[in-house]
Amino acid sequence: MNTLKITLLLVFGSTCTLLADDGQGTPITLEAAREQGRIKSRFLKDTKLVATVADAIPKANVAYFQKSVMPILNKSCINCHGPKKSEGRLRIDQLNPDLLAGPDVERWREVYNAVSNSEMPPENQSGYALAITDRGNMVDWLSEELNKASLVRRNSKDHSSFRRLTKYEYDYALQDLLGLPYALANKLPPETTTEDGFKNSSELLQISSMQFEIYREIALKALRRATVSGNRRPEAVTYLIPMQQEMDKAASSKDAKIFVKGDERYKNHRNAPHLINRETGKGVSFNSGKSMPTAGAVAGQTPALSPVMLVLPSSSELKLDLDRFLPDEGIMRVRIRAGRSTIKPDEYASLRLMLSAHTSNDANFSQVISQRDIPVTASGDNPQFINFDIPLNDLQRNPFRKLATTYPRRDEFLHIQNVSNASNGEDRLNVLIDYIEISAPYYEQWPPKTHTSIFFASRNKGSEDIYGREVLNRFLRQVWRRPVTSQEVGQFMGLFAKYRPGFATFEDTMLEVLATALATPEFLYLTQRVTTGKTQSAKNISELELASRLAVFLWCSIPDDELLKLAEQGNLRKPEVLAAQVQRMLADPRSRRFSQHFVEQWLGLDGLNSVTHIPAPLKDALEEEPIAFFDEVLRQNHSIMDFIHSDYAVVNEKLAAHYVIPKVYGPHFRKVSINPQTNRGGILTGAAILAMNSDGKDSHPLKRGVWMLKRILHDPPPPPPPNVPEVDLTNPEILKMTLKERIADHRNKAACIACHAKIDPWGIAFENYDALGVFRTSIKNKPVDATSELFNRQTLAGVDGLKRYLLADRQDQFARAMVHKLTAYALGRPLSFGDRADIDGLTAQLRQHDDRLGDLIPLIISSNLFNSR
Amino acid sequence: MNDKSLLLGRRTFLRGTGVALALPWFETFALGKPGPDETPKRFVSIYHPDGVGLPLRNDPAWKDWSWFPRGGEKDFQLTKVLDVLEPLRSDITIYSGLSHPAARRVHGHSNADQYLTGAPIGGHGPYQNSISLDQAYAEHAESFTRHSSLVMSTNGGVGGPRGAQTQSFNREGRPIPAMNKPKQIFDMLFVTSGKDAAARLARSKSALDFLIDNTRALGRQLSKRDQETLKQYLDAVRDTELKLAKAQMWIDKPIAKVDTHNLHLEAEPKEARLYFQTMYELIYLAFLSDSTRVATFQLGRENGEGPHDLLSRAVGLGAAHHLTHEVKKPEGWKNLGTYNRYQAEEFGRFAQRLKDTPEPTGKGNMLDNTLAMHGSASSSFHLSRNYPIISAGGKNFGFNNGRYLKFGKGNEDNQAGAGIDTDSEWQGKVEVEELPLAKFFVTILQRLGVETDSFGGYTGSLDL
Repeated sequence: MNTLKITLLLVFGSTCTLLADDGQGTPITLEAAREQGRIKSRFLKDTKLVATVADAIPKANVAYFQKSVMPILNKSCINCHGPKKSEGRLRIDQLNPDLLAGPDVERWREVYNAVSNSEMPPENQSGYALAITDRGNMVDWLSEELNKASLVRRNSKDHSSFRRLTKYEYDYALQDLLGLPYALANKLPPETTTEDGFKNSSELLQISSMQFEIYREIALKALRRATVSGNRRPEAVTYLIPMQQEMDKAASSKDAKIFVKGDERYKNHRNAPHLINRETGKGVSFNSGKSMPTAGAVAGQTPALSPVMLVLPSSSELKLDLDRFLPDEGIMRVRIRAGRSTIKPDEYASLRLMLSAHTSNDANFSQVISQRDIPVTASGDNPQFINFDIPLNDLQRNPFRKLATTYPRRDEFLHIQNVSNASNGEDRLNVLIDYIEISAPYYEQWPPKTHTSIFFASRNKGSEDIYGREVLNRFLRQVWRRPVTSQEVGQFMGLFAKYRPGFATFEDTMLEVLATALATPEFLYLTQRVTTGKTQSAKNISELELASRLAVFLWCSIPDDELLKLAEQGNLRKPEVLAAQVQRMLADPRSRRFSQHFVEQWLGLDGLNSVTHIPAPLKDALEEEPIAFFDEVLRQNHSIMDFIHSDYAVVNEKLAAHYVIPKVYGPHFRKVSINPQTNRGGILTGAAILAMNSDGKDSHPLKRGVWMLKRILHDPPPPPPPNVPEVDLTNPEILKMTLKERIADHRNKAACIACHAKIDPWGIAFENYDALGVFRTSIKNKPVDATSELFNRQTLAGVDGLKRYLLADRQDQFARAMVHKLTAYALGRPLSFGDRADIDGLTAQLRQHDDRLGDLIPLIISSNLFNSR
Repeated sequence: MNDKSLLLGRRTFLRGTGVALALPWFETFALGKPGPDETPKRFVSIYHPDGVGLPLRNDPAWKDWSWFPRGGEKDFQLTKVLDVLEPLRSDITIYSGLSHPAARRVHGHSNADQYLTGAPIGGHGPYQNSISLDQAYAEHAESFTRHSSLVMSTNGGVGGPRGAQTQSFNREGRPIPAMNKPKQIFDMLFVTSGKDAAARLARSKSALDFLIDNTRALGRQLSKRDQETLKQYLDAVRDTELKLAKAQMWIDKPIAKVDTHNLHLEAEPKEARLYFQTMYELIYLAFLSDSTRVATFQLGRENGEGPHDLLSRAVGLGAAHHLTHEVKKPEGWKNLGTYNRYQAEEFGRFAQRLKDTPEPTGKGNMLDNTLAMHGSASSSFHLSRNYPIISAGGKNFGFNNGRYLKFGKGNEDNQAGAGIDTDSEWQGKVEVEELPLAKFFVTILQRLGVETDSFGGYTGSLDL
């Protein structure tokens, strides 16, 4: 490692900006690097920037070919692939060396593969053998030119934003349209991801007849769930479960374990679920009960507070046998009146629901049915109701529940679990429950709002024709995100007339018609109609189309009534109106979908699903972190440079424990200050990124390097050539090497060096983080060597060095990459060379706005790009 | 509605036989090119719970009542359990050393669910299955026949997770309900009216016409480039139209008439022999009439009482599941072997019937164009390894029979896990090497004409 040390000193000597002026050679702080880096910005110096070097249109390097490659070809190749002989029908002398403009890219790719894999020249033709340096030079030139050629091919074509909604956008659109707050479109196939990682790109959003049929099926099913047939409110099945009553039952059982608070037996039972009368101290062990629906009971009761309470210690549960009476469909509302036994700020307790069945001795299943754990915050003396609303339709149910016989068993069990971080001890935090109520189907009102927003009250209800038109008029406006003409409504009424004889009621018929509306391209696609003219305003999308584009960008969904109205009135594009709307949309909870889906795609968090070594509860926290971090930066309007490094982290208890950050309690994510010894800050050192770019056992510097280049610097390396030589793990010499040495060994092969020199250093800098992203200082008893040198001789000393270098020297590149990614996502299409000037302009504006993420969103929205077809 | 009177007319014409369309049209009729003279390729899987008898070599019962044959690939000898198949020797193949890796340490009671899927369903907690072999083939073959597949079991329905009463799972891993009443199955295949289906079809046609008009109107307002994108949507709608036309074709086409003299449609599982033979006969008739090319039949469910437990009455024995628990009692191995022998006998009778029937299109006999598989997801007592599998037929698409094929290493004598009768062994360490059964499934799919090189997450086929 001596040479590396020397290089380090040399580099530090020459780029002294990275060293503090203390004569000790200590590197400057990351904060100082960030300030210095900002000063260097070209975007801030020259606001009328021409295309940046980073993204200039590549040019073919024919001069190098003539000078250095042609002589090699003439020496080693031309005798077999030239005018005398043309083996494999290849005339190397006739290939156009301009890979960008010429027609021979594919032939050159074959040459590249053969030469880089040492297949050519043939080994037995010693006269034509290639010197290692010659092979290296030739492969380097070819890989460079091939990469440029593919870049040019990809980026020369202009793409349109006219596209189908993605699976998740369609799902949210349907949810928002119908008011059903749960996933509806799981049946659709997953979307393909572009090379940039985006799923919402017009380039890849195809449609097949299979998909088309699923759209129709989902739509009809969702409409049927949103509406109700008949006027009578279905009778709910209701279980009233006061703990007083459970106490009476449990205490009278012949094997009841009864105790009194404070006595000897209490010690044995207090750490397991039990019922206790807080007035008399009498208690009984209790962790499961059997309940039957109460005939004629009305849900939503608030009985007087009972002295008898269920004590649920952390990580324990109450299992309720509900027999077989839960209905098949509708919402199940579970109301639990609960409080905490102690209120300590560093402890939390929350409730989670599970449903299970056990049909015969090894045939069983269980599943968590609550979307999220709900914290218990009230005190035990003043418990408050916690409500869970669970849609029953999509749950795994006991298929035998309707059997006339008793075997296989028909029962279903509801588990109420206390998920908590409470520790054991004298004064431990328990959840106290005095009353449970379960009721299904639950309706907030009757008929439900989801029904009346489609079939609303009207004095024209008597006439199917007039009322049908009213219903369609309102529905189609939302579905098509524009006012509809009476002629269009008439066409749907024609379909209604055809369907009507096949159905008993107006509503049933209309649902079929509405389902057809939900299969029209104007619902499934983001349209942009053509207008004539050459001015910018003629190239602009309409205000209604702008409303849709906005809603899809920030809500992953369709516009709401307010946006539609403003667009219909022609007011949406007024700068002050637009700015206010963007702020309103970002303040709306739906904007959380933007953070989630943009970050998932930008960072490629799907990668977490291709590794299997992360324990399940930790995985959820890992995945959430970068999204929560982005959300924090967005909402606090921080600089995007925080993504590279920040002096805070956004974590929950689980993740804080993983990062060894003390004093973070509870499952929710929040911003906490961290010190440098934590070795975190920003998103690069997020455990999700490090874990998904591992091989399941150890770090994977190559994957991490590729990830850095693709996702953060937007400078993707070319794909690996076919038949890459495997690292031979049976070779004992290789097994002895550290990973870094192994990579160095691999990289020293001519076929590999050109690309790896660009990729590996970025990944090696992360060597201090293991396969779960835990910080380490040694690997197999050897100290971690996380120092690497970039191809420009810049040394990266671990992650700190990498961050310092990015902040000091690569701010412009990162800012532009961020703008590029966000804009491509906002437009739902790949960007091309033609968009470069706009991206530069936006980057300059962002930098003038101190790189604030919250400012970037409206900048993109008011840009020409976002407003054009 | 016009369709009604039309339909009535057609039904009168068909003299009361009506039309059948049991599944929604979009599941049943994918696009395909049914070459008119193509000989059908069929697949049927029979599943029996509780595994087979596997005494230790030093047990006196070993010689007669061990399920697996003895000897080599060609010169194998069948024990008393399978000797009923001797007349079909040249039409069958017996396999050992195959199992689904994810199930090897899961209790046999939970494993019928994954026999045809290979999914890692585990033993408890959340449950997710994946597509079954028969359905993977049905996706390919459904365009040729009126019914995509015939799914049957003695207990019927779907059963519970880890207690399946069906062998078939769709692409999303959801169970497909099995039919268990011979009369209903017969009506579904050969009698049922397609009134609802016809009405649904008519509605779909109107909707598609409407959508095509609507799309054209939108297209006129878009740029040339965006019109190209929209064309994909239009193509999807048109493809769907073609499927509708196909569905209509089945509605218009008269239902096959079949010879019903072997059918006892009121038979119930407690009349074991009659019921069993009737169910097999229904598969036979469905194949003969080319109503479907895919069938599964599960004998009851793993573990626990139910109609299937009564099947062992056919050989004068008590509840079937108990036989596996009582192998160490006097005559225990013999009793279990006798019950397994009876299963093999009925399977053989079915295979023989296919063999005795010339292929309606003229190429060989029906057995040569059918791969019939018979097996269980456990061998010895609740042990989910070394599945006992027999296949019959398939000669015309590459199955070379008359062989006993041993896969894996270290268990050539089938003694791993032999002789056990307690629950302590099923989660024991896997000591011998077995091959993933999914690789056999890949072979089957490939020979049936499905272009694939993987199944259930396993790539590659078996060399047979």
